[in-house]
Amino acid sequence: MKKTICLILALLLVCALCACGKQAAPEETVFTMGIDPEYPPFSYLDDNGEYTGFDVEICKAACDYLGWKFQIFGVNWDEKLVQLDAKECDCVWSGMTILDSMKEAGYVISAPYYDNTQVLLVKEGSGISSSSDLAGKVVAVQLGTSGESLLNGDLQELTDTFSELITCDSFLKCFTELAGNAVDAVFVDLPVAASYCADNAGYVIINENLGAEQYGIAFRSGDAELCAKIEEAVAALVANGTYAEIAAKYPDIVNNLLFLNS
Amino acid sequence: MHEENRSGPMPGSPPVLALQNIRKSFGDLSVLRDISLAVDQGNVVSVIGPSGSGKSTLLRCATFLESADAGNILYDGQYAMRDGLYGGKKELREFRRRFGLVFQNFNLFPHYSVMKNITEAPVLRGFSRAEAEEKAFSLLKKMGLEGKENAYPCQLSGGQQQRVAIARALAMEPEILFFDEPTSALDPELTGEVLKVIRQLAEENMTMVIVTHEMAFARAVSEWVVFMDGGVIIEEGPPESVLGDPSQERTRQFLRNYQQ
Amino acid sequence: MSLWAMVVKMSEGLGKTCAIFFLTLLFSLPLGMIVALLRMSKNKAVSGVTRFCISVLRGTPLMLQLLAVTYGPYYLFGMNVSRNKLIPVIIAFSINYAAYFAEIYRGGIESIPAGQYEAAEVLGYSRFQTFMRIILPQVVKRIMPSVTNEVVTLVKDTSLAFTVSYQEMFTIGKQIANSQTSFMPFLVAGVFYDVFNAIVDWAMGRIEKKLDYYR
Repeated sequence: MKKTICLILALLLVCALCACGKQAAPEETVFTMGIDPEYPPFSYLDDNGEYTGFDVEICKAACDYLGWKFQIFGVNWDEKLVQLDAKECDCVWSGMTILDSMKEAGYVISAPYYDNTQVLLVKEGSGISSSSDLAGKVVAVQLGTSGESLLNGDLQELTDTFSELITCDSFLKCFTELAGNAVDAVFVDLPVAASYCADNAGYVIINENLGAEQYGIAFRSGDAELCAKIEEAVAALVANGTYAEIAAKYPDIVNNLLFLNS
Repeated sequence: MHEENRSGPMPGSPPVLALQNIRKSFGDLSVLRDISLAVDQGNVVSVIGPSGSGKSTLLRCATFLESADAGNILYDGQYAMRDGLYGGKKELREFRRRFGLVFQNFNLFPHYSVMKNITEAPVLRGFSRAEAEEKAFSLLKKMGLEGKENAYPCQLSGGQQQRVAIARALAMEPEILFFDEPTSALDPELTGEVLKVIRQLAEENMTMVIVTHEMAFARAVSEWVVFMDGGVIIEEGPPESVLGDPSQERTRQFLRNYQQ
Repeated sequence: MSLWAMVVKMSEGLGKTCAIFFLTLLFSLPLGMIVALLRMSKNKAVSGVTRFCISVLRGTPLMLQLLAVTYGPYYLFGMNVSRNKLIPVIIAFSINYAAYFAEIYRGGIESIPAGQYEAAEVLGYSRFQTFMRIILPQVVKRIMPSVTNEVVTLVKDTSLAFTVSYQEMFTIGKQIANSQTSFMPFLVAGVFYDVFNAIVDWAMGRIEKKLDYYR
């Protein structure tokens, strides 16, 4: 009888140990991404009803890299930070403009990955040092860029001082016009200007924070570690080329991605 | 000049046209083999022969449309070509004043009215417009084409077109007129009106060389008939002998084919 | 942006579209004749080189030629890019169209029967007189339909000037389309081109009719 009890106990122990063993294995991390489902090309519903977009694809790839389970939560954009605090999602990552107010409120904000800042690219020694020097000058901008809409919108007053604004259908042409002295300045996204300057000597960037806007990822205060992990994963994606591969699917934004143009 | 009464060659004056020992070949094909021919003032010479005999080429050499390979071409005793060498561009242009050429296909300028077809060349050659037009009117009258001066070639029948072409050639007041099968491109019922005009010119003692297939016409109009075959002159003489009583078998054979 | 505002804004570029059109015709029609005569030259080197140039100009896209003329001098010789884009645009268009016109002229000239030359020669016309008075007027009539074709194509090709940032009508249309995310400007551009071509057709028809007095 004793033996039997011992056996049963032993069996129970084994079972318990097994169960313990199972419980001891690390529980799968679920990462819930908070997005605005109507913000193409960063995050949106595709024709099949699946969430997609640049931010969504990057996040999914980062989770794959980290071995996390990836989930999506569509936020109400006006209430996104409240929903983040309510733990309905673990981050807001959806073409979100970084605002000082967010940092002041204690949210953890990732390093910016997208920059909408428009700068002026001029030749060294051109005598142009600010946008006010552009009066009577010829300025080139690429057709269909945020720079073009800015010059024909919020910055219309500046545009009116130019002698001419010409629109080229590629950055290369804008820069060639500048190199060949056909235009005096190119109005262009900061990352693009920076990478051109890095490759070509003799140019100066004039940054007046025109149309300045940077996108980042918001986490709850105290989630700095989570933020660091995501940043690390994204850095790995940049390093192994996945990031550029995904970016190539979104030509409209590729020029403004800081990780690709620095 | 041609309206002057020219009853015959002046004694001792050189022939209007003299072709001497003309040779011409296209590649390996010898088209003219040593042809000599003289045309006196006021004479009409008909050149007959089967197609490919070289008669048209002879006319084209005489009018510088083709360049002969060897021989002499003289107009009024002056060399236009000597030993196979043609005169200079300017010189030849002066020689062209001496002759006119009427083509088988008329070659009127389709974009010009009849009047302009006839008067433009004389005007370019220094005649006044009024002079040229007056001349054109009288030529049109002579050709039986009164009132056609404003018509365009496409509005005329073939026979009328050929008569305009003759008027155009005459307007340059040539000393000699060449005809290259002038009725071959015409419907049979239209040949008569053209032949009538040529006959009329012959009566006025116009010097003419006519390449033709119209045997009866050649006989009636010419002083001299030349029968060519294979690039050589087989027989020549007055029409009664060449056409009436040919001495050569090839001439007889050719004429027999025509009578059939 | 209202449709009317689009039309007004785009018609601002219409002047430049017309400038390309008329200046190209002005230069390419005579230039084509020179090229055609070089092409028919008895000098084998001259005609060979001309033939090669024509084949390159007809064998490569006009857009490429526009880029080459506009930016080529900068890339090859470090020369300045022209500030007035009309200049490279007109050069590229004129050269390209001259190549097409040259082949049309050549076809026309070669279709004139030899008898016309011979008749003129015998009547004492000089070579120049023969060409100007006898041959050319007949060539003009014969090539009119082909020339009309090219002219109609030219109207539409003016839109290629956008590739070197010349602010003609179509470039402005593209800008509006981009900023308004609307297809409307392209529709407006289509109507503009069609009306333009209707006028061209009418004008060329008048010329053809004028030349219709003979066959």
